[in-house]
Order: sequence, then C-alpha cells, then structure tokens
Amino acid sequence: MPEVRLEGLGKRYGNLTAVNNVHLTVHDGEYVTVLGPSGCGKTTLIRMIAGIIEPTEGKVYIDGRDMAGVPIEDRDIGYVFQNIALFPHLTVKDNVSYGPRARALPPEEQLRVSRRFLELVRLLDRMGMFPDELCGGEQQKAALARALASGSRLLLLDEPLSALDSRVRVDLRYELRRLAKELGLTTIHVTHDQEEAQSVSDRIVLMRAGAIVETGTPEELYARPKHIFTANFIGETNLLEGWVVEIRDGISVIELRNGGKVEVHQTDHSVGDAVVISVRPEFMYPADEGMRAVVRGITYMGTYWRVKAETEDDEEVDFDMATLDGNLLTIGKDVYLAVNPKAAVLYPRPEDGVEEAIRLE
Amino acid sequence: MVAAISRKRFLTGWTAFIILFFLFFVILPTIYILSYAFTEWGSIEALLEDQGRMDLIWGAIGASFQIAGIVTVIDIVTGLPMAWMLVRKDFRGKNLLDTLIDMPLAVPTAALGFSSAMFFAITDESLQAPSFALGTIGSPYLLIILLHVVFSYPYMVRSLSAILVQIDQTYETAGRTLGASPLTAARTITLPLFRAGLVTGIILCFARSLSETGGTMIALATMANARGFATGPTLIGEWKDALDSQPDLAAPLAFVSILLILLSLALLVVIKLVVMRVHLPMGRIWPRPERLLSRGVFPKVKDGLAVLFLVVFVLVPSFFIFTYVGSVEPTAFDWAPFIRSLLYSFLIAGVVTGIDIALGVPLALYIAKNRSGRLAGALDVLVNVPLIVPTAALGYSLGVFWASQEIVPTHDVLLIVLAHVAFTYPLVVRNVAGAVEEVDPAYEETARTLGARPVQAFRRVLYPMVKSSILAGAIMAFTRSLGETGATQAVVANAQTAPVYIVDLINLETAAGYYSAGLACIMLIVISFLFMLALRYVTNRRAR
Amino acid sequence: MPSVRLIGLRKAFGGIKAADGLDLEVRNGEYLCLLGPTGAGKTTALRMIAGLVSPDEGKVLFNGEDVTNTPVEERKAALLPQTYSLFPQLTVEENITFGLDIRGADDRLKEQVLISMLDLVRLSGRSTAFPRELSGGMQQRTALARALASGADMLLLDEPLRALDARLRISLRTELRSLVKSLRMTTIHVTHDQDEALVMADRVAIIREGRIIQVGTPKEVWDRPATPFVANFLGQSNFFIGEVLQSSPCTLLRTPDGTVLKGRSSDLIPGTQAVMGVKIGSTELSKERPGYLQAKVERILFEGRNLHMDMMTGGGQRLSAKLPSWKKGRITVGDTVGIYWEEEKGTVFSMPANGLESELKVE
Repeated sequence: MPEVRLEGLGKRYGNLTAVNNVHLTVHDGEYVTVLGPSGCGKTTLIRMIAGIIEPTEGKVYIDGRDMAGVPIEDRDIGYVFQNIALFPHLTVKDNVSYGPRARALPPEEQLRVSRRFLELVRLLDRMGMFPDELCGGEQQKAALARALASGSRLLLLDEPLSALDSRVRVDLRYELRRLAKELGLTTIHVTHDQEEAQSVSDRIVLMRAGAIVETGTPEELYARPKHIFTANFIGETNLLEGWVVEIRDGISVIELRNGGKVEVHQTDHSVGDAVVISVRPEFMYPADEGMRAVVRGITYMGTYWRVKAETEDDEEVDFDMATLDGNLLTIGKDVYLAVNPKAAVLYPRPEDGVEEAIRLE
Repeated sequence: MVAAISRKRFLTGWTAFIILFFLFFVILPTIYILSYAFTEWGSIEALLEDQGRMDLIWGAIGASFQIAGIVTVIDIVTGLPMAWMLVRKDFRGKNLLDTLIDMPLAVPTAALGFSSAMFFAITDESLQAPSFALGTIGSPYLLIILLHVVFSYPYMVRSLSAILVQIDQTYETAGRTLGASPLTAARTITLPLFRAGLVTGIILCFARSLSETGGTMIALATMANARGFATGPTLIGEWKDALDSQPDLAAPLAFVSILLILLSLALLVVIKLVVMRVHLPMGRIWPRPERLLSRGVFPKVKDGLAVLFLVVFVLVPSFFIFTYVGSVEPTAFDWAPFIRSLLYSFLIAGVVTGIDIALGVPLALYIAKNRSGRLAGALDVLVNVPLIVPTAALGYSLGVFWASQEIVPTHDVLLIVLAHVAFTYPLVVRNVAGAVEEVDPAYEETARTLGARPVQAFRRVLYPMVKSSILAGAIMAFTRSLGETGATQAVVANAQTAPVYIVDLINLETAAGYYSAGLACIMLIVISFLFMLALRYVTNRRAR
Repeated sequence: MPSVRLIGLRKAFGGIKAADGLDLEVRNGEYLCLLGPTGAGKTTALRMIAGLVSPDEGKVLFNGEDVTNTPVEERKAALLPQTYSLFPQLTVEENITFGLDIRGADDRLKEQVLISMLDLVRLSGRSTAFPRELSGGMQQRTALARALASGADMLLLDEPLRALDARLRISLRTELRSLVKSLRMTTIHVTHDQDEALVMADRVAIIREGRIIQVGTPKEVWDRPATPFVANFLGQSNFFIGEVLQSSPCTLLRTPDGTVLKGRSSDLIPGTQAVMGVKIGSTELSKERPGYLQAKVERILFEGRNLHMDMMTGGGQRLSAKLPSWKKGRITVGDTVGIYWEEEKGTVFSMPANGLESELKVE
C-alpha cells in the first residue's frame, strides 16, 4: 500500500533554492493537497516525488522504498499534468489503455481496463474520439482515467483543474475526491487555489518560498491557523494590529490602534505584547458598541452580504451580514463592530510588518 | 472618412503589386520552361527518337533521384539521434556541438564539393594529395552521395530539432509515468507526432540534393575517372556551356529542365502523401528489450556514434581543403580575376538581398496575417516551389523566359540577379512569415485600441519583434546567392561569379589550378563564415 | 464617458455562431460584467465593441452614434487582453506612455500622466523594469495603467484576473474595481468566474451561445434567475421537475412521486411541466422538520466559511446544500434530514425545450 515519505527533500538551481528541507509523510489512502502561491516550490516538490526532477538533497520513499535512482516508469505512480497532456494522436480509449499497453498486457485486457476507467469517469461514450474533440472538463477526466488505468494506487495531481473554467472546476473537484476515495488511492494534489484545497483534502500542506509553512486539516487551517500567512491565504480575514492590555479568566483584552478594545479567547501572550488579531468577516458583526467604522461598500454575495467599512485609523474591515432586511446599513453610515472572541486568533506582530508577512507574490 | 478610404485603396494596390511581383518575377519564370513542351513539341518528339541522348538524360535524372533518395535516408537515420541529443539532453559541450553542426552551412557548396572530393576520392593519379586523405572512393556515384550528405545533414538535423523543440516533452513524461521506458515513450508517442516535421526535413534534403550543381561538378572534375557520369543539374550545366557551339542542344536542355521541374514537384506531393500514410509498427510494445535499450551503455553508444558520424562524414570533409592547401607546394596565384569575381558575386548577392527584403517582407506579412484566406494559403504553397525546383532547371527556365520577352533588357547581370531572386526570395518570405505568425496578434490589436493606426502598430510593436528574423532571412539569402553555381551557369553560361570561377579553375586540371581553387575556396569559406557568425549572433539575440 | 449599445449583433466563424443576435446596453460610467462559460461568445462580443472583429450583422453604438465601421484606433476603447500583451521591448514607463506617444503628446503631459499612473497602480519603484521582470500582479497593473493612460474613455477587460493565482485574484477584485470606478470609466469586463462578476459588477450580463440571456444587478441575477442555466451557473442549484398546480400567490409544483413543492409566484399555466430551481446556499436542512422531502447525508466537506453537503433522496436524486460552518456537528454523515427552503428562494421555470440536462451544461 502506498505511503509517501519525504525526508529533508530539497532542490537547488545554482544559488536558487526551489524547495528547502521538506519533511512530510502522506499516509496510505490519504488525500493531501500541497497549496501555495506561484513559485513556492509545490510543483518542483511533486515532480521530485514522481522522479521527473532529481532532488539535490534528501530522500523520497514510496512504500518505504528509497526512490533514489529509480526512473519514473518504475515508480508506479499515476500522474495528471497541469496541461492535461493527452496524446493528441491517440483516441481517448487508446490514451487510457496506454499504461496497460506499455506493460504489454494482452489486447483484450487493455480494452477491459480502459472501459472500466472510462466508465468510472463517465466518458464511455467518448471512447473513439480524439482529445481535441473533447471540451476542457472531459479532457481532464480522460487524463485522470489514463493515470488511474496504469494500475497505480498513488495518484499525483499537478494543478489538475487550473486550466478550466471556474464553474467546471467546482464540479470536477468533487468528482476528484469521490474517485480517489472510492478507489482508496493515496493522493497528492498540487494547487494554488485555497478553495479547491479545502474542499478536496484530508490534509493541506501550505508552502511558501520553498518551505512548508503549516500542515493540517482544512478545518484546522481555517479556524486556528498557526501562522498569520495561513490565516490570510486560506480564506479572507481581517488583520487588526494592537497590544495586549489585560489578561483574565482565559481572555486577553486587546487595545487596537484606533483605541477600540477587543476580547479574544486566547492567552498565550503577555500584557504589553504587540499582536495582530485575525478575525474572519463572518465572525465580525455590528453591535451597540465596539470598534467604530464607516460603511464604504455593500456587495451581494448570494447567500450573504459583504460589507466593507473603514475604521477611524483608515484601516479597511470586511464583515458579513446574513441579511440586510431590518438592518439599516447604508453606505456612509457609522457602525460599531464587535468580534466573536472564540473565533479570533492572536499572532505576535511580525517584525517586517503585516504586509510583508502575508505577501502573495 | 475620405482618408480612411484612400488608405484602404492604397493598401489594396500595394498588396496587389507585391503579389503580382511574386507571381511574374518569381513563380512564372521558374516554371516557364514547361510551356516549351507545348510550343516546341516537334523538337522534343525528335529528341525522344534520339536513343543516345535519351540514355544520357534518363541516366542523369535517374542518378539524381536515386542519390537524393539515398542521401535523405542516410540523413534521417544519422540526423535523428543527433537532433534528439541536441534538444532533449543536457551535457557539457552542447553549445559547441550546436555550432559545429551549422559549420558546413557556412561553406559555399562549390568549396564544399572541392574539399569533400579531396578527402574522399583523391588519389595520386590525379594530383598530389595529402597523405591523410581517405582517397578510397572510386565510384562517382558513391562520392556524390557522400558529398550530398555533407551539406544536407545540417539541414536535416536543424529541421528535425526545430520540430522536436515544439513537441511538448510532457507527452513523453506522461508516457513514462504510465510505465513506458524512455525508448518506448519516444517511439510510440513522440515519433508519431513528429511525422509532419519529418516531411519538411525530407523535402528540404531531397530538394537540396536534387538541386546541387556546383559542388557536384567540382567533385566530378576533381575525381580522376568520373567521365561519363552526370546528374540532372550537371548535365544542364554542361549543355548550357556548349549551347553556343551546338544550338541543337536547346531541345534536350529544355527537356531535362522540364523533367526535373515536374518530377521534383510531383515528388513533393508524393512525399507528403507517403510519409503521412506510412504506419510504422507502433502497435506492439516490447517492455523488456526496450527497457534494456533505454538503460546503461546503449544510449551512450548511440550518442557516441552520432557524434562520430558528424565528425568523420560531415566536418572533416567540409574543412579538408585547409589541410590540402597547407600541405602542397604553393604555386603562384593570380589574385586579380578572383577578386573581380568575388566583387561581382558580392554585388549580385547585395542587390538580390535588397530586392528580397523590400518585396519579400510585405508578402510575408500578407501571408502571415491572412493565413486562413484562400489566396494567402495558395501563395504560401507557391512560395515553396522555387525552393524545391532544382536551381539549374530553374535558372535555365528563367533564362529562356526573359529571353523570350522584349520588355526587360536581357543583360547578364540582370538575368543572374533575377535568377538569384527567384530562389532566395522564398527564404526571406518563409523566415519572416514564420516569425510574424509566432507573434501573438494581441500585441498589435492592443496597440490599436490604445490609439495606434495600423502603420504605427506595425512600426512600433510588430517590427521590433521580428526585426531579427528579417535580418536572419537577409543573411541566409545573401549566403545562398554568394554560393550558388547551378542557377548562375544555367542562365549565363560564362558568368564570372566566384563559385563559377572556382569550377573553371578546377576544370583546368592542373596542379596550379587546383591550388588556386583551394585558396579561393578558403577565401570564400572565411567570408561566408563571417556572415554565419553574424547570423548566429542575431538569432541568439532574438532567443534571449 | 460613453454609453454602449449593441443591436442585433451576429458573427459566425465558419459554422460556429459566436454572436447570434446579441443585444446589450451598457450605461455611461457603468461597470458591467459579461459572464458566461467558455465558448459563449464573450470575447467576440468584446472584440466587436473594440472594433477588432466586424459583425456580420447588427450595429455598435457609442453614445447613440453608430461606430460599427469606425476604425479601432478612433473608438477610444482600450483593451486589456487576457495575457496583458505588454510590449516586451519597452519598459514599464514606455508601455504606460505608449498611447500618449502615439498621439504625439508633449513631454510635460506625458510626465504628468506617467507619475499619476505609476502612483495609482503602485509601481513607482519599477518604472524602468521590463515586463518580464515583473510578477504577474505587477504585469496586470502595468497593463491597466497603459490602458488608462491612453486617453481612452472606455475600458474593455478580457478576463483580466485569469492569469493570476486564486488568492491574489480575490485580493485584486476590489482593488481593480475601485480604481476604475474612481476614474468613472465605462467598463466592460469579460469573465467566466461568477464570484468575480458578483463582487465587481454594477450589473451582470449573462451570455450563452452568442446571446445575452439576462442582465441585472448581482442581486437580481442571483435571486431571480431568468433560466435554469443562470440559476445553476451562479452558485449551483438543486432542481426538481413536476407539474404546476398553481402559479399565484405562490407557485406549487407536484413532483412525480406526489410531493408538493413551493416556490415564488410565476406566470406558468397550471397543468404544464416545469422545473423548480433552489440555490444550494438557500437549501436548508433539519433533523427535526420533515421538510418537503427527506434525504440521507452522504458526504460533508469543510470549505472554510461553508460546509458542503451531498445528499441522496429516497428516489435516488442527488442534492447538495451549503451551510455556514458554525452549524458543523449538528448534522453528520448518515443522518436523514428534511429539506426545505423559503418560498421566495424557489424559482420556477417552464420546462426547457431541450431537456434540463442540456440546459444546464456549462461546457
């Protein structure tokens, strides 16, 4: 059963470090996403696992076996490429049966395998077509069927959905997870899209500048991220700077730069520390007292309203309203904002400033 | 509004002029000789009765096509591993290898022919040869094959690697993730995708071999016992030379030209059809042996052989002339006529290049921008005709065409210029059209939405992006014109361009003649080489 | 700043109709998003407005004036292409002043515009860099500055955020909109991303198969979709097929198994076949209430602010719902839940001519 273990994996190009000292274990049957902005080294990482790129240091173990010197074709992996890479001169059926063919299985077995996997991705009726006759989503499904048909239990997905329309992407990501779980595959999925990562994975590995920032379940990374970068990257958040002024009964009281005070259920900082509070828009709401702000914009988001407001020291704060009915929020109006103390998270204020700590590129 | 309309009219007029120029000055003269079959059928009929001449003609044409075919096969077999190595592998000295492959392109075919013949075939019977010459090839047929491989090999490697670069390596990697060994992946995925590119390479090599005159003539002249052997182009050269004294050669000349033109055009179609239809045995996969061949020493042996071939059969023959000139007794060399011929060649090449650029770039733009249109599509196909037709036949046809009309005076220089324009013009057009097509039209479109008129958008946005390709096309046209023998001789029998001068020197068959020819060749090589360096410099800058 | 009107535009490429009777009105100073799936004809519509494609039929009006035959460069409608098309041989600075250079503006004016543009798009430190030296976001801002500085009074954005990372895309939405709005430019923004359209647009026009099928404010197109396609393209919907029992004051729909579902009033004729669409975000679940119908929860995915639930009804229909994450734990996989919705959230459509499945296709 495939389990992938990376030990101190690194890749350098001259002076440039693409991936630095990565330790990670992906368990059998687990669906792990490697998430991060462009250039964070996530693609290099997955390519090293596949054997397409040779690491400059560290080791890759698949099933406990050291992969050093093992060529791609002997690693027994299924790989889906970002640009899909269906063989343009072969039909969908021949694409899918390429893996069995490369292993010289008898023709009737090749056919059986390709039918089975095309049925699984619901493309049986496209068997005789050429890749350029399919639309984007179908091409990606065919590529997936091809990867699965090679018989591997380890699936590597390199930004599999990024070439597709967003609406198609949403449908396909549920499909990906369904298939991976149904077949009991170990899956490593690389993406820059945090929504995609959240909805498909058992566990997310967040990378930045060649190194792992943080690893955890989607829920952990959303609700209690350990790093301020994670808080901002996974879902939107308000980052408010202030100081701890009081600690009592498991609650820290923070004074914000604009003078407002916020309570947070977290006490791992001492009085006087400079901190940043991360609070997501859905955990901030208008109240009778709290942080004063002026409403600058209201946007309809379908199931809720997103309100943009400006605090007295010109910081922008977003908060969500389930409904505007009976609430007389209008642009230019003053509001007092309260924070749900259980849902706010405190971080020490970063030395280079918040902006630098959450920079995306 | 009025300005817009007149601008449109001007543009239409200009486009029409360019297309007419192309059709009447390039295409029509190239194939004009075909009309001879209709107007002078009687003389051709008489020729068909003449068994001796016919044997000669069929022998020469047959040899031409056989040689071209064999040369192409050798080029594919030896060029493919080399192209693969250059594109898909990273190793030390790759840049050097890349440069070495282009070197024979820098040598004019006349010089190349002399140099190669010297290496492969010279024995002491004919002239004093350096002791390290191979000197074992006794058959003119074999010698010409080897010679043609020398100068068509770089074309094959270049066109194969150009296609290979474009085939996304992800396909192969994808095949390997599915369990295919590198050899299997290359054979079952990349090679089939390669087919269209292979057609280009084959046609280019075939046409080059079929068309080659200067080098072939020199090689045959250098060889001791080549009497009686001829290829189509050398036959044209010989007969054209003798035309003044034997006017009855007009019909055979026309007949050979017609045959060469028709057969080469027919071949173009046949190659396209055959290569696209042929099914290599791609169905089966033999995992074990293929895996074995992908590993260990096998790939290294293959690469080693590819490099060895390049050195022994391409590079050494190309530059053997240097060792010859260095190792024989120097004799007096009369510089004056050579310098005169060199200047003459330069003058012609310069004028030709100027015409090519001025009238070729607009046509290239028209073709590139109206690719989907029927007219542009037809022009795109027609542009290849002068490239495929053997230049000797082209030259003869062109000479007859211009002689048959009264509008343009038929001065020697003018005729040579027109002949050279005919076969260099396509080089510029294809180069520039290719470059323009690679530029995303969004650049020009965006410029226009920002307020730029079409002319401004071209000058400010597109031109800077394709400037280097225009230059590259110009340098190619220049060196081609400088090195051409066949077409020149076929238009004007005793034209004194540098390559023709060298042929004449060798035909003297004296030691002094050979020595002078060798020296002249080296001069020509050095000059061409400088141009080649300029070309590489320019294209490298573009790649940056 | 001009208003734009497209009247009956038609354009075919080969046999493919990229515009098939396209009508649209864009108001003066408005930010309009043209939203649709790949191949719907969005880009062709934009290119016809720019003048880069001339329509086979129909008219383009700017401020009521026919510009159908006006050359591109005289329309003053600057295009920002998907891949930006920054001129690679020019620096950031030269790219930005390209439009002014073309018009022969004097150096003082160029200097002024340049400084204010660099400031506006936060690129003052990078003015001498070449495009290839910039990050994706910076390239996008340079292209925007180039379009704004050209003196155009209309901005045509072709998927301006597509080439960027997902997270960056979200951050840049509001920035791009407020920048353009502050200059009061009429803007037409083509996108396939429904979230982007909702957040950025004054009005959204939904295009499909070369025709505009609905135009309205984000709230209008979300809450009152004109067709099942719109209902599903913007935020995914659950659909139910049945027979109309009454259409006012609310619509009642009886499904084949006899369940009666409630939706907003409509003008459908009782007795006809119809489809009801309910946004998955408006589909509510309860273990206590029986609801309109029952289903078994098969899968729960945590998606940050929401939970995504997939369910299966007794009749084998797959349904989905999106609930706020704080409801986590109240419902678990394997539970049987009652499904209901507010009457106002159910929209009833007449049965699509080609069947529901082909109506909903997004590719």
